[in-house]
Amino acid sequence: MPRLKNKDTMNSISLAKTFAQNPDRRYIMFGGKGGLGKTTFSAAAAYHLAKKGFRVLVFSVDPQASLSDIFEKDIFGKGPTEIMPNLFAQEIDADQRVKAYQQEIRQKILDMYGMDKIPDEIESYLQAAAAEPAMEESAIFDEVVEIVIKKDYDYYIYDLVPLGHALYYLSMASVYDAWISKITQLREQMREYDQVAAVVRREKELSEDAILNELLYIKERINTSSSILTDKKKTAFYFVITPEEMVIKDTIKAAELFTKFDVPLSGYIINRVLPPELRQQNIPEYLKNRIAMQDHYMKVIRDTFGSQILTSVPEMERDVTGLPMIEKVARAMFGNSA
Amino acid sequence: MTEKIKEQDLEKKKSGILQAVKEFVYGAAAHDSARYALKTRASMEHLFILITMGDMLGVPILPPYYSLRLLPYVVPQISTWKRRMLREKDLMDALA
Repeated sequence: MPRLKNKDTMNSISLAKTFAQNPDRRYIMFGGKGGLGKTTFSAAAAYHLAKKGFRVLVFSVDPQASLSDIFEKDIFGKGPTEIMPNLFAQEIDADQRVKAYQQEIRQKILDMYGMDKIPDEIESYLQAAAAEPAMEESAIFDEVVEIVIKKDYDYYIYDLVPLGHALYYLSMASVYDAWISKITQLREQMREYDQVAAVVRREKELSEDAILNELLYIKERINTSSSILTDKKKTAFYFVITPEEMVIKDTIKAAELFTKFDVPLSGYIINRVLPPELRQQNIPEYLKNRIAMQDHYMKVIRDTFGSQILTSVPEMERDVTGLPMIEKVARAMFGNSA
Repeated sequence: MTEKIKEQDLEKKKSGILQAVKEFVYGAAAHDSARYALKTRASMEHLFILITMGDMLGVPILPPYYSLRLLPYVVPQISTWKRRMLREKDLMDALA
């Protein structure tokens, strides 16, 4: 399989170098439109790092996850599963988590109020809340916080859902943080009123505001997530692009949004590049045209993103599934020295 | 004219005495403060529930995963809250 030599990418720092030069960047994310190769690159990067001796967890936040597909192992909802030494993969089963969570809440209510049964009103609220689409996303969000808080791994690779959702997650963090602050303030104000009433009535005892503590806990969870995602030193975000017009256009828009949310963009990786050497062979007209088109868009990409392009990865001869193919992609991404 | 002034003086004295009696006997200032504080807290409590459990009214705000976490703490207030929500318009004013 020919290795692509692109003189322009040689001018910029390569992907391998950027990893080597930023050893503290332990949170890696590949983003971009659906179907362009994020999962492939997530798996390949995880492979590369695991081979180097780092303990790596690659996990999926996509409800239609394909990590099971790429590793040819059913890992859905099974927690972190070892794929090979040092390499662990996890597909979060949001449904399972929400159900378990509902049960936790039910039990808490029964315990707190000494009830035998949950009141109908409360039960119907529990069901309705769990059915909300936003519940699944926020359950995944919390699961991710849970994973990174434990610090069990050297590297965490987030296999993100297609572009739109990725930005939603990132924006969620700051929006919710703002809301929690407001609510916490309100709550603290209420506590002040409590104190006035208590003093006036000569009550020495003030019951602890359990809700305030819960809010602070929630704030802490959300902060953990956003502090990681917006820290250039801790997080690397790579955009996956292909030499196609719409992809390039959408990526430019997305890059602007990322700047808005203060998410550090570490570089671009071009995927699915047809080897230009094909031109020398006897190929059908339509392939010749495709390569010519590709040349044009490669130029557009170089002109638009310049030195932020870290590497190009060729179109593979077959589906990337299974470790041998993943290894091929890893070599294309990080170079043969990997 | 002096009659009127006398009358006003008398009224003032009466109310003054009454007031003093009130304050002395009922600790009115303290009582009012406490009532006011509790009433405001009750309003804020309800406002707070609205904000966190707003999705009952179709106004989602906190991520559902996290607002669910607060559910156990507001269980006692949920039925009173619903009733009050349907009655009190000043809660809506407070929100505005």
